[in-house]
Amino acid sequence: MSMEMQTPNVQTEKTNTYDAIVIGSGITGGWAAKELTEKGLRTLVLEAGQTIVPTRDYVEHVPTWEVKFRGMRDRQYDKVHRERQKHIGDEWNAKFFVDDLENPYTTPPDQPYLFLRGRHVGGRSVMWGRQSYRWSDIDFEGNLKDGIATDWPIRYKDVEPWYDYVEDFIGVSGQAENLPQLPDSKFLPPMELNCAEIHMRDVIAQKFPERRLTIGRTAILTQPHRGRAACHYCGPCARGCITRSYFSSLHSTLPAAEATGKLTMRPFSVVHSLIFDAKNRRITGVRVIDAQTKQTVEFHAKVVFLCASTLESARILMNSATPEFSTGLANSSGQLGRNLMDHMMGSGASGIIPGHEDREQIGNRPNGIYVPRFRNIKEKHPGFLRGYGFQGGGGRDDWGRGSETAGFGTDFKHMLRQPGPWHFTFASFAECLSNPDNRMELDKDKVDAWGIPAMKISCKWRDNELALFKDAQQTAAEMLDAAGAKDIALRNSPSAPGEGIHEMGSARMGNDPKTSVLNRWNQAHDIKNLFVTDGSFMVSSACQNPSLTYMAMTARACDYAVKQMKRNDL
Amino acid sequence: MERREVLRLLGSAVALSALPSEALAVIQQASAQVAGSTGGLKTLDPHQNATVTTIAELIIPATDTPGAKGAKVNEFIDLLLTEWYEPAETKQFLAGLADVDALGKKKFSADFVDCTPAQQTELLKQLDAEAMDFAAEQKRAVAKSSASPLQQTAPTPSNFFYTMKKLTLTGYYTSEIGFSQELGKSIIPPSHAGCAPLQEVAR
Repeated sequence: MSMEMQTPNVQTEKTNTYDAIVIGSGITGGWAAKELTEKGLRTLVLEAGQTIVPTRDYVEHVPTWEVKFRGMRDRQYDKVHRERQKHIGDEWNAKFFVDDLENPYTTPPDQPYLFLRGRHVGGRSVMWGRQSYRWSDIDFEGNLKDGIATDWPIRYKDVEPWYDYVEDFIGVSGQAENLPQLPDSKFLPPMELNCAEIHMRDVIAQKFPERRLTIGRTAILTQPHRGRAACHYCGPCARGCITRSYFSSLHSTLPAAEATGKLTMRPFSVVHSLIFDAKNRRITGVRVIDAQTKQTVEFHAKVVFLCASTLESARILMNSATPEFSTGLANSSGQLGRNLMDHMMGSGASGIIPGHEDREQIGNRPNGIYVPRFRNIKEKHPGFLRGYGFQGGGGRDDWGRGSETAGFGTDFKHMLRQPGPWHFTFASFAECLSNPDNRMELDKDKVDAWGIPAMKISCKWRDNELALFKDAQQTAAEMLDAAGAKDIALRNSPSAPGEGIHEMGSARMGNDPKTSVLNRWNQAHDIKNLFVTDGSFMVSSACQNPSLTYMAMTARACDYAVKQMKRNDL
Repeated sequence: MERREVLRLLGSAVALSALPSEALAVIQQASAQVAGSTGGLKTLDPHQNATVTTIAELIIPATDTPGAKGAKVNEFIDLLLTEWYEPAETKQFLAGLADVDALGKKKFSADFVDCTPAQQTELLKQLDAEAMDFAAEQKRAVAKSSASPLQQTAPTPSNFFYTMKKLTLTGYYTSEIGFSQELGKSIIPPSHAGCAPLQEVAR
């Protein structure tokens, strides 16, 4: 289904007025659009970037020999336009990430931060990792029990029905494991573990009873679901999917919103700021800079959903400062932009698994394994709070091993025709504790291509994250050792903050308006008709991939907002 | 006009500008033929191209499927030298290529392409052994380093044959010949399974 651009050509208050405005069309903006339109609201979705047309823009089936540098990236272009974005994506899908020159941000010199972004209809849901995990009360109660930051204003029972609701729509494949720290989703059939992973699963079950290896839980269809086809195992999902087999806004929520006849999608709409009516304590509209003409246009609505992504939503609120809210709209708590979190990656270990040489994995399974968090579940660890999960998995080496293997000629070529030994990698995703000094501010000296102040991001890993990093090397290595692995190598490449692309927390929720920006419904404490449902609301990071929780909380917030509207209480 | 003569003239802008227009037309025509004979390469000269093509074919020879030459690995390497590498890296690669000739002259009194196949194989064995030592050393250095990729700004030291072998394998196996004919792969796999008996590559 196409998302045609519908530009209102008469810019009067009447034609530019909707029931609701959703800012952003990514994983949460798409959900807000679907929920609000299905509940009858005429909804305008403002997307800063361009439209993506799958038949034109998707590149997952383009063979390597048809891309100029055969997958080695356009290095000279990267150097100028993708100094940061080159750390994500590949030569095929680089176009789905922003131009760093148009979208600058600054950091202190000793605190590198990687802000990896997509600006187009569908946002990062087009390129996301698709791993989908529920949180548990171990996560929601963590801050209270550990005395870290503030308590979550919700518990698992509040979000559980909304997990059910979004999973039923998006389709999540996985294996039920009945673990207290990782509640099961409503699963489609799981993808298959490969030979090395089956071996590792069995060794872990036998020797590490508190740990579990399961197939990754992923928003990819393993059977037809709601008009979308099952995965065909071509592999590179982040380049698009013409069969719509993985969940994205483009494949699922935006078409559902469009089908209601209530959706207006406006690409090339860079939000400058929100318009605040100080007398009535309400947002009355949104100031937009047309990305192409650079003209300013205003749109009005009864309710606004900010789904621009964690840091972008905080930037919009800061750029909407008023005399009353001098540090940013809805920021009476002073917490806007603070408590930024991401998952620390780059630890774990890898090794060679001997045997299984007469067997192989067929097809390109776009999914790996998951070892749910096992630290600080039953027993308290003396060295750190919280824990980490492992992703990764097994596989056989391909021709790439040739450059590290002696030889050349006919025998060498025949050797590379066969797959190499099985290897196995555990790659950690560690929880990051909330800290007010991990923050974003507006940079007074730098603006983006549309004249909007750029971000200044200050964020670094602290002692607890570093302790988790060390522990993850050891626990990964001991599992590999128990499985008989050879050549065990510790992974030792700490990710930069932001590199996990799980940034969250810069407008946290809470029961106390003095210490939080949003209430338990993702509604601004200070302004009733403003909701923020992207990752901004997160109070702690847990170690699971967060998108599923963002989606569930967005659907929940939309339900609440529309009920309040019907009661004239918004 | 002899090809050698054209090349000599092309190397000199002064010579070109001093020529009458008629002669210039002849040179341009001959020059186009020279370019055509090396596949429109932009960085490798004919001798360098012959050396690269010969080494690549020795690494991945034609068997029951075409080899590196058939997959035009030389054109891929020329593209990288022209548009991907930094000028200093390209210079380093070309110097490494010249060193191969120097080694050939030292051991067999001939440029690499003029050595016998047996001599070429012997030279490559020596280069490959050195490259494997280099690769092992690199691996040890990476294991020791804890710097994130963001902080690694120093250029990585290089070994000509290590790079040459890596580029040959990349150029070959990412070509349609390497991917479809040699490895028998397809973009959309005909089936999928987690742990299945190893299949013989069908062709």
